[in-house]
Amino acid sequence: MRKAVFILFLSVLLFLMLIPNPAYAKKLKVAFIYVGPIGDAGWTYAHNQGRLHIEKVFGDQIETTYVESVPEGMEALQVIRSLVKKGYKVVFTTSFGYMDPTLMAAKEFPKAHFFHCSGYKTYKNMTAYFGRMYQPRFLTGIVAGMMTKSNIIGYVAAHPIPEVIRGINAFALGVKLVNPKAVVKVVWTHTWYDPAIEKEAALSLLDAGADVIAQHQDSPAPQQAAQERGAYGIGYNSDMSAFAPKAHLTAPVWNWGVFYEYAIRGILDGTYKHGNYWWGMKEGIVDIAPFGPMVPDNVKKIVNVFKEAIIDGTFDPFEGPIYDQEGKLRVKAGEKLSDEALLSMDWFVDNVEGTIPKGAGE
Amino acid sequence: MLKIRIVKRLNPPKYHAFLVPILSVVISLMIMGLFLWARFGKFEKVVEAYREMFSWPFIFDYGLPDTISKMVPLLLAGLGLSVVFKMKIWNIGAEGQLYLGAMATTWGALFLFKNVENSLILIPTLLLMGAIAGALWAFIPGILKAYLKLDEIVATLMLNYIAAHWLNYLIYGPWKDPEGYNFPLTAVFPESSWLPMFGESGIHSGVLIALAMVVLIYFLMYRTRWGFHLKIIGDNQTAARYSGINVEKNIILAMILSGALAGLAGGIQMLGVQHRLQHGFSPGYGYTAIIIAWLARLNPWAMIVVAFLFGGLMVGSEQLQIMMRIPISMVYVLQGIVLFTLLASEMIFNYKIEILIPRNGGEKSWR
Amino acid sequence: MLLELRNIVKKFPGGIVASDHVNFDLREGEVHTLLGENGAGKTTLMNILFGLYRMDEGEIYLQGRRVHITSPAHALSLGIGMVQQHFTLVPSFTVAENIALGLKKYKFKVDFKEVSKRIEEISKLYNLNIDPSAKVWQLSVGERQKVEILKLLYAKAKIMILDEPTAVLTPQEVESLFKAIRMIKESGTGVIFISHKLREVMEISDRVTVLKSGKVVGTLNRDELDPRKLANMMVGRDVVLKVEKKPKEPGKIVLRVSNLHALNDKGLPALKGISFEMREGEIFGIAGVAGNGQRELAEVIYGLRKPADGKIELLGRDITHTSVMARIKMGISYIPQDRNGVATCPNLSVAENLFLKDQQGEFLFNLKDVVRRSLRRIEKYSILTPNPNFPLKLLSGGNIQKVVIAREFENEPKLIIAEHPTRGLDVGSMEFVYRSLLKARDEGKAVLLLAGDLEEIFTISDRVAVIYEGEIMGYVEPDPSNLEKIGLMMAGVRDA
Repeated sequence: MRKAVFILFLSVLLFLMLIPNPAYAKKLKVAFIYVGPIGDAGWTYAHNQGRLHIEKVFGDQIETTYVESVPEGMEALQVIRSLVKKGYKVVFTTSFGYMDPTLMAAKEFPKAHFFHCSGYKTYKNMTAYFGRMYQPRFLTGIVAGMMTKSNIIGYVAAHPIPEVIRGINAFALGVKLVNPKAVVKVVWTHTWYDPAIEKEAALSLLDAGADVIAQHQDSPAPQQAAQERGAYGIGYNSDMSAFAPKAHLTAPVWNWGVFYEYAIRGILDGTYKHGNYWWGMKEGIVDIAPFGPMVPDNVKKIVNVFKEAIIDGTFDPFEGPIYDQEGKLRVKAGEKLSDEALLSMDWFVDNVEGTIPKGAGE
Repeated sequence: MLKIRIVKRLNPPKYHAFLVPILSVVISLMIMGLFLWARFGKFEKVVEAYREMFSWPFIFDYGLPDTISKMVPLLLAGLGLSVVFKMKIWNIGAEGQLYLGAMATTWGALFLFKNVENSLILIPTLLLMGAIAGALWAFIPGILKAYLKLDEIVATLMLNYIAAHWLNYLIYGPWKDPEGYNFPLTAVFPESSWLPMFGESGIHSGVLIALAMVVLIYFLMYRTRWGFHLKIIGDNQTAARYSGINVEKNIILAMILSGALAGLAGGIQMLGVQHRLQHGFSPGYGYTAIIIAWLARLNPWAMIVVAFLFGGLMVGSEQLQIMMRIPISMVYVLQGIVLFTLLASEMIFNYKIEILIPRNGGEKSWR
Repeated sequence: MLLELRNIVKKFPGGIVASDHVNFDLREGEVHTLLGENGAGKTTLMNILFGLYRMDEGEIYLQGRRVHITSPAHALSLGIGMVQQHFTLVPSFTVAENIALGLKKYKFKVDFKEVSKRIEEISKLYNLNIDPSAKVWQLSVGERQKVEILKLLYAKAKIMILDEPTAVLTPQEVESLFKAIRMIKESGTGVIFISHKLREVMEISDRVTVLKSGKVVGTLNRDELDPRKLANMMVGRDVVLKVEKKPKEPGKIVLRVSNLHALNDKGLPALKGISFEMREGEIFGIAGVAGNGQRELAEVIYGLRKPADGKIELLGRDITHTSVMARIKMGISYIPQDRNGVATCPNLSVAENLFLKDQQGEFLFNLKDVVRRSLRRIEKYSILTPNPNFPLKLLSGGNIQKVVIAREFENEPKLIIAEHPTRGLDVGSMEFVYRSLLKARDEGKAVLLLAGDLEEIFTISDRVAVIYEGEIMGYVEPDPSNLEKIGLMMAGVRDA
């Protein structure tokens, strides 16, 4: 009797395996690989909004899918491979740790298009894309600098990598512009997404006297911590005001859909050129979220002035003179930091309190 | 009067080792099917989902290389656990031991032996380092268990956390790739340390090592007196002492072997798949291996099947996401249900129901 | 009459009758002792009374009314309390907290002041000396026991069951416990005292009921109490087996034990200077009521227990500090009393158990080979098993003992230690054990027989010593005319 059940099971299994897969339609198939769950309200959520945007824009012309919570590293290559073999000719990999596997996949599947977010390696069919998040970060720094009373601003930061450091520096420069006495205290969590740890870090900053909490984290937990303590918060990735309406001043946000629409249109037209895309507020890939009701009009005015100056290119947050924590002049007056210097940034400006863990090679 | 009672099966048949895991997977798929049915609303979609799940991972040119590359660490760590589980020592630290293996291998590949170019010498040395590191990591709770009666579950679990934080320290600090833009990962290993691939198949040669270990463990557990001693200790420690067996020494030895296999799994992941140390190189292989060892009922041959199926399940669940848009949490639910039904069917298969109807000649019973 | 148990029957799976139509009663203000060896059924009977076990037959009357006790909580509500061998206190709680735990009165909030006050009152009344605010883990074993008793006094128990309360106590603590028992008795509470130690029983009991193999042997009033009589009642046997014994001249000395001291599992002295010699071809019987150091003696000679002092020599070699494995190889075999817990692996097969200690082909091991070789042993010792791969635990007690004997005898031993080798066996299996031991003796092996059963000792021993509280009381010839003398020595009278 049991043997019969077993044989039955095996034959059902074989049967399932032998049914041919349905023929794939001639749509452009686009896939996204996410590092977290789409419900994180942060990084992955923002990318998924971009995916939904292109689904809406291109309708029947494309078909999209995604894979959540894919570990960084070579495990990702296996996921990319199966996507391409399934007919997905356009693959967006949306975390730094996917850079090498994406490059390997690009070499393996020359006819497919690969887009890697936040890295620096490109190939003839692989684009590296990112946004100049430091621009809206600078603007939110202005808001924080004007809103703080204790002159201590907390910053919950994920990993000590150039992207995060750049954001912190831009933010601190914004603070300094309007409030030279204020300092930005940084706490590293060593995780992109872990609400419990993020909240702990935010609370420790609040305990240290911070009355505004900014974050480079993917969950709204630091905002919630700020609201619990009656402090202000500056979110990240997307408008987080729903999670902490009393605390949320504003947030630097991603509009990935702008770039995704550009890339897909180019591929559909056959005009797309792979390379390094680093868009900013001008293109609209980054922006700041609507202000909370507690933000006074004069703050909004100043922010808007700088926003327009950034968009029309008359102002750059990393214009000199900029001094680092040791008091060394990093950018001379009248000069701007090059993109290369921005991409490998490993120092803090002088009003940041915190350290960057150094590797053996430095 | 009709009486129903549940009786423990006194002598479960041998084929249960294969039957129970397969049946519990089937049952859990049925339960999951109900969830999926509720989600899709159409039965055809459920069938399609399962077809995705079961075809892709086992077709050679598609998911099979991934399935095998996931099978290898599961199989190795599961084999190691089967050794200690046999003597009822609950090592749940395979994950940490695997981390240690990966770290030691990285140390060798990037620093100690970075100038060795002969792969034939380099690769075995690195893997041996991984195995030794895993063994040492298991030796600590082993010796604490043997001589201080410290609960090995707590000790091994704690060491998992220590290993994870140690790894963090290394990749954020001293081992960070100097050209990695400060990202928390090490440099890529020299190619001489990479495990050779089987041509273009995408399958690395670690699978041969894993299969060799199956044979080795089978031999140790079933063909040596040491294996018999572990079996005695597992059944009755007092009887083991009475039989002149040094229980403490064997607990430590078994932990060492268990950790060495998990460490080897970590080393093979490094040299065969990742080629650099970073976060997320193990999506919980050490924990899943606990399930593997149980599903296979500690039988090394059955473990090949189970690890392969589980590798397939992991790859297949990616397919569920890609093709069916099933969220990852649902996939985790499925894996949880598999474990749950496994435990339940363990129970059910170890018991039988007897229905007693009193007759003139006494009670008659059915199974 | 406070309590009456009538015709209590309790059967355990495997056909063991732990309680065989037992009658027992208790009056107010008396100490009624249940006396019997380990496994005689004392604890089983009390667990039935306390609601831990369900009886198969029988009736319980409390103050003339029939009761059906379903659980310990129910028993407590009826005024029946039990201090079990393993205490049920929470170590990290205070005395007051532990006592409040079991109180129905406080559902949500406990008035600790009130509880502590009551504890102090009771403690003073019965001279228990317990501080209600002390944490239980800080207390000595004797004090913890008093807390258990206090718990019952607090709950106003009318019947107090004390299961082997003295087993864990030092002599001073026993004295203090007995004082408390006398006070409790005077307050009208009936005390059921369980023990197998004759001296204590003599001291504290108003009446004694002796149990043996689940049956009541008899009940004696205080004025009838006599240690010799009690000892005989405890170890006497209904069936007398006659086994033919050939006269045999003992050979050279096999084992010499000198001034052996050892502690028991609780850390109390169990052996206090034991010395003896054994020769080839003799069965040396050591008689005594169980729990007087027999197990410890066997374990020390076999190597499972480290001696605190003394020396063990096997065939002239000092083996005091060698491992069990070394002693097995030198030819010491051991048939422990606990067949299932010590001598075998219940879930392993008959064949595997037959070769548990086998060292043939040190490194390699082949189960098929073991199964093949086991067939001969199964046949030679007529072990009843469907096949060699059958799990051992499914065999009957007699067959399990045969497996143990087969293994221990086939190991080419020089010395066989047999500890209560017939306990729990039917007559047929008993005879088999006797014949096997005699055969070993006739083959020139030395057999150390540790048993409480006098008939057993007399039937097969060549020489008999009596052990009492870890000391050898003296030697007697194995002759029925010496029965009385042995009875006295078993009760602790030296060389009568």
